[in-house]
Amino acid sequence: MNNEKFLKTACLLFAFVLQSAMAFSQNLTISGTVTDERGVSLPGVTVAPVGGTGGVATKPDGKYTITVAASVKALRFSFLGFAPKEVPLTGGKTLNVTLISSSTTLNDVVVVGYGSVRKKDLTGAVANVTAKDFNPGVISNPLQQIQGKVPGLSITQPGGDPNANLIVRLRGQTSLSGGQTPLIVVDGIPLDNPNQISNIPASDIESYDVLKDVSATAIYGSRGANGVIIINTKKGAAGRTRVEYNGYAAIDKLRGDYNLLSADEWRSAVQQIPNIDQQTISALDKGANTDWLKAITRTAFTNSNNLGVSGGTETFNYRASLNYMNQQGIVINTNKEQLGLRFSAEQKALNNKLNIQTTLSYSQNKRKLADYNIFEYVNTTPPTFPVTNPDGSYYGYFDYHEQNPVAQQMLQTNTSNDYLTQLYAKVDYKLLSFLTLGTTGSISHLNTQTGFFQPVLPGVGNKNNASQGNANVDSKKGDVHLNFLKDFNKHHLSGTLVYEFNDFVNSNFNASGQEYLVEDLGDNNLGAGNSAKNVISSYKEEFIIESYLARAQYNYNSTYYLTASFRRDGSNKFGANNRWGSFPSVSAAWRIKNESFLKNVTWLDDLKINAGYGVVGNQDAINPYNTLLLLGSGGRFYTPGNPTNQYPDSYTPIQNANADLQWERRIGRNIGFNFSMFNSRFTGNINAFNDKTKDLLFNYTVPVPPYVYNSILANVGDLKNKGLEIQLSGDVIKGKDFSWSPSGQITFTKTTITSLSGSYNGTDISTDMVPIGVAQGRGYQNNYLTYLKVGQSPYVFYLPKFAGVASAISPTSNSNQLYYDAAGNTTPDISKAKYDYIDPTPKFTYGISNTFNYKQLSLNFFLRGVYGQKLFNNYDNIVSNYSRLPGNNVTHNALTNGIRGSQTTSDYWLQNASYLKLDNVTLAYNFRQIKGLDNLRVYVTGSNLLTFTPYKGIDPEVVNGDSAQSYIDANMYGYGYYPKSRTFILGASVAFK
Amino acid sequence: MRHSYKYIKLGIALTLLVSAAGCKKLEPEVYSRVANENFWQTPDQIAAGIAPAYSQLRNIPDGNFHDLQEESSDELVVPARGNDWLAAGQHIQLFTHTWNSQTQQVQDAWNDLYSGVTKINFILSIVNNLNPAPATLPAINAELKTLRALYYYWLMDLYGNVPLVTDFNTNPNGVKNSTRKQVYDFIESEIKANMGQLSTDRSLTNYGRINKYVADCILAKLYLNSVQYVGTARYADCIKVCDTVITAGYSLESNYFDNFAIENQSSKENIFVVPFDNVNIGGNNWAAQTLHYQNDKNYQISGGGWNGYCTNAEFYSHFDTTSTYSVRGKNTYRTYNDARAGQWIIGQQYAEIATYPPNTGVLSNSTDATLKIKDAQTGLDLSFYSDITEISNPAASFRLAGLRNVKYWPNPGIQVSQNNDMVIFRLADVLLMRAEASVRNGSQSNVDLGYVNQIRMRAYGGVQKYAWTMSDLTLNNLFLERGRELAWENVRRQDCIRFGNFASARKPQKMQDADNHWEIYPIPQNQHIANPNLTQNPGYAGF
Repeated sequence: MNNEKFLKTACLLFAFVLQSAMAFSQNLTISGTVTDERGVSLPGVTVAPVGGTGGVATKPDGKYTITVAASVKALRFSFLGFAPKEVPLTGGKTLNVTLISSSTTLNDVVVVGYGSVRKKDLTGAVANVTAKDFNPGVISNPLQQIQGKVPGLSITQPGGDPNANLIVRLRGQTSLSGGQTPLIVVDGIPLDNPNQISNIPASDIESYDVLKDVSATAIYGSRGANGVIIINTKKGAAGRTRVEYNGYAAIDKLRGDYNLLSADEWRSAVQQIPNIDQQTISALDKGANTDWLKAITRTAFTNSNNLGVSGGTETFNYRASLNYMNQQGIVINTNKEQLGLRFSAEQKALNNKLNIQTTLSYSQNKRKLADYNIFEYVNTTPPTFPVTNPDGSYYGYFDYHEQNPVAQQMLQTNTSNDYLTQLYAKVDYKLLSFLTLGTTGSISHLNTQTGFFQPVLPGVGNKNNASQGNANVDSKKGDVHLNFLKDFNKHHLSGTLVYEFNDFVNSNFNASGQEYLVEDLGDNNLGAGNSAKNVISSYKEEFIIESYLARAQYNYNSTYYLTASFRRDGSNKFGANNRWGSFPSVSAAWRIKNESFLKNVTWLDDLKINAGYGVVGNQDAINPYNTLLLLGSGGRFYTPGNPTNQYPDSYTPIQNANADLQWERRIGRNIGFNFSMFNSRFTGNINAFNDKTKDLLFNYTVPVPPYVYNSILANVGDLKNKGLEIQLSGDVIKGKDFSWSPSGQITFTKTTITSLSGSYNGTDISTDMVPIGVAQGRGYQNNYLTYLKVGQSPYVFYLPKFAGVASAISPTSNSNQLYYDAAGNTTPDISKAKYDYIDPTPKFTYGISNTFNYKQLSLNFFLRGVYGQKLFNNYDNIVSNYSRLPGNNVTHNALTNGIRGSQTTSDYWLQNASYLKLDNVTLAYNFRQIKGLDNLRVYVTGSNLLTFTPYKGIDPEVVNGDSAQSYIDANMYGYGYYPKSRTFILGASVAFK
Repeated sequence: MRHSYKYIKLGIALTLLVSAAGCKKLEPEVYSRVANENFWQTPDQIAAGIAPAYSQLRNIPDGNFHDLQEESSDELVVPARGNDWLAAGQHIQLFTHTWNSQTQQVQDAWNDLYSGVTKINFILSIVNNLNPAPATLPAINAELKTLRALYYYWLMDLYGNVPLVTDFNTNPNGVKNSTRKQVYDFIESEIKANMGQLSTDRSLTNYGRINKYVADCILAKLYLNSVQYVGTARYADCIKVCDTVITAGYSLESNYFDNFAIENQSSKENIFVVPFDNVNIGGNNWAAQTLHYQNDKNYQISGGGWNGYCTNAEFYSHFDTTSTYSVRGKNTYRTYNDARAGQWIIGQQYAEIATYPPNTGVLSNSTDATLKIKDAQTGLDLSFYSDITEISNPAASFRLAGLRNVKYWPNPGIQVSQNNDMVIFRLADVLLMRAEASVRNGSQSNVDLGYVNQIRMRAYGGVQKYAWTMSDLTLNNLFLERGRELAWENVRRQDCIRFGNFASARKPQKMQDADNHWEIYPIPQNQHIANPNLTQNPGYAGF
């Protein structure tokens, strides 16, 4: 039996078992053709009688024939990715139907948290992205699918590491503490940590709904401060069993170069060093010609495979999927291998009064990590050093931050394997026609196992050492909800009441040892080393959030809308008197198009204005227990008199406890316009927002004495965010064979710190300028570059003004760099220099997508960009320094920039880092009417193809807001510089009959 | 009827909704830490709760405090070797007396010391409110208050006019500078008030803890420097407390280096030490800070040193480096006449494992060229030279500038953290203080001469010709002798100030100070940001 036949047989059997018996009287036979908007016939569409049982699917040519009882008044047409349609039966025997793909229909359902609404009925700023608009490519984190697609949503990939997290910001910097990644909700269940998104296979995702404005996120109360991204996974639908396969193979190649000297360039450059000693040169010239960046990288291969089976009846549907992806990193000995299983099902019973939904998902990621120190070694090691000795062993050497990066990365074991299991169930019972009572429960368990082994490295003289870690992130979530839905003529009223309980437990266990006799055992026999060096540790914490929420939605004739919600959250991260917070919201919308004065404006399909106000809280940014006077380890102490334990642990306060700790609150206002014109050929939305964050959680400086520690987590300070978001899309050309659909978005965001002073517990806290980001590298120590400063954006630079270089090194500054002083004269003394505040934040960010279709061929390319961003090129500052020669390598820039002596910080290194990236290009061919197949699409994609930027660093897309080191491109010192790659993909998606 | 059924259903729904609430209290449950009120239950727990009062001491002998006490003096310099050890110029600032209120060590030493004070304030506020009170409460109070007085002594010594806070529950808004005199008076009265309750146990069971003689040492230091602190000479008081310590039963170790050895807990000379341990108590990074990357080949520190701290020719010239030499095969080994000169390593380094103690059998020359260690990064012969003429120089050869110190002999194979317990007070210092106070007091006698000669005879292996006579017992000679005996032991800044050498110009590149405001450090800028009530010390730019 060949594979195709086998699959077909298997699917048929599957479908047979799952589908209930179909019995109906034969009274009326109807036939017709189902097509999409462009007139292309749609095979596989489910056609079923409304209020009856049974159904058929359309054939490959889109044709169907169905026989129904005479009592049936309408037929329902449904197909994945298209809006379902009910068509009344008017007596005719032929019924041709056009289905509209869901992404363009206003009837599409958008999930808004604890419920869903039709897109046309939204009153807040919610963006919806469906599968057809996803970025293609090697997706190691699903959010890459919508990078650049949603106005207001900034997604930054700080490096090419398949095992690194993305940096995600919605509507700017909203806080000063913690990760500000939006809350991510998958099928109604918030992830315990938004970074868990990387454990979810991208190919299971159907769509994203991004709740942007505070009136929309307020329903998530204490967890909504950073915005909310709702992810909807693919589900089964009533109809024929559908088997889909998506797969691709990809090849990654290094993109970008540090621009370091080659060995021959090094040899000629070192001869120019004044008074250079030939003995030194010959000692450093080992005769090799090594490009160390090439030596640590490779051409990487990735393959991704996703198999999904879905189907069901009117009362039961399911989808099961299996994912496997093996992604090599372009750095040697780095890898991510993902295996995922997901099963979801929905059962209706008791006359459709009872609805049970369940999802089970499991994914495992096996990761081989990069040792980020190697990127510095690439820049320190002279290119004249060989990678290996003639006998094939690694060449060994050691100096300050200098050793063989290839040996380090290849000889070390550095693994992290994680296993995410999520179970979810929801039961709803329709008590009355307008009232549903339900309960939801979910469990999430993420287990991460790390392993590390470092052998004795050649030339380094270290001790071999090993460690293992085991961390668990567990949560239990449950709710009881009551939903109300009733129409009174043209009045539509719906409401939701929820009680919710969330319990989070984090725990970990680590052990390490040193000095192993047999290195081959790696980290597999931790106890075999020097028993005096064994270290074990463990930790466990728990916190709870308890919530009550209510929401009411009203609209009159789909013209006037009002939504109000109220949530009360209790979190035990806060002080006893401040645990409960209230988070109200109200929003309204007006569909102007429905007014009589626009009724006759035929070119305008829809025009709606909406406005909202809401309050959300932030508690995710902080750890539990900050309010308590807790004692933890104060280190070991020596008690020679103790016969059994000479080094017991001591106990000391772990923090300045703040019993008054409370919510950080974000108060948001939003106004938006949505329009659609010329038969939906031109659509768009514009949103403007003005948000304030109050009672900012931050570690504020306090005096020692009387405090034990010099900072305390407290609620002091405010900041504001203003922004404008515009999204437009059009079908500019819409012919029978050829079409062109461009779309784009642009986002303007401005964040300003408005206060950093106030009082905590009667104590004044006044920190109007807080130093944050520092210059990295040898020679620097606490050289602050960026600050939190009232009246400025977070991470504003405060830098001396560069005035060129002097011919000789100044003996006092040890450098030939000059600065302007306040009077405009030049000085070598940096302490006399004039300092300026420089805002590095982008003026706007944008994304532009273009899709061309010609018959069955489609071409899509996506550009995204950032304008007005500045980066401190810390890499160049360190490595483009001639004085590093001969012991360390330098860039070509070092030979021409004239800088001698110690490096210093100045605005010279703050460079324009606007950029425009050709993010991806896809050429696809859709085969039609292939025997045995519903659908076959073959495509080639290129990702990260071109970058246009004046920035002189390796890549202008660096960390921007997650850490204190925002806008500082120290891309050899551990802040996101795993080299990026250019990717080429060959992929196919196929749906079997 | 239909309607009432509806209402019943509605009622059930609401009841379910409400009863689901309040399943669990919102009181946080703590797992891996202990709430303060649940601790302090047993004597062992009380001991473990008191121990952190001492843990701040780990930052003293080899941390920011060490930098402030030594780098501003004439015996320790950390030159910038290119960008290596430039560290934003902070070491240059300390050596050349150009520091400011934002210099890293100025800011961090404050935290190191005041964390000791505030932790003690915290512990006192707890142990004095335990019910039942611990049986040893009076002794605990005396010990902790004396230790706090020691922290305050160092704060007063470094920063002068520091805030005096002795209650954990002090309102932060009311914290202001006290004068140096107020802090001085507090230290003296606090120590005297608690002296009677302090243990006189000098045994290993009380090792690394405050006893009565530690308290005497603090007073001795306070009195010896009293002119500098408050303008009042108190040499007679100094002599008195020195005598208490001298007669307590401590005695000089026959080998100078045994006080600093890898296992030095049996030293009869050390009065107060900070225990360190390669595994359990980190903080003694002595060898790594001073030795070169390739010194792993003779001093066996795993992974090599950091090539930082060193001394220069002028200070080294105070040492008697005359030696006797012996030849074995191709190698020549030297033994120093004055053992203390052996703490410095100078000249070509050879790839043969160096032996303890460092004053004897030092491989000083070899005709076997293969033994020569080379600087891996520059290819130069690894040969340390003493004449440092610049404070900063990127030249390859400058990596070898300065002599390195191996007083605290490194454990073979350690990665940074050493086992050697580090000395805060030892008898030799007390003997020299006694002699100096007598000279300054005009009351020097053969007793003082005998004390100094005990030290010199120990250094010279008992060879009488190196003993001093009464005429050698001068202030200048004592200054030099203290330098030889106590090099890098955190007394040199005080000594330089007391002997009038602190402001002097010296190599490399330190100019004569224009005034004496450098004798105390500025109040750190970050402390002023946190507490705007603090005012700056004289001579420094105001806040």
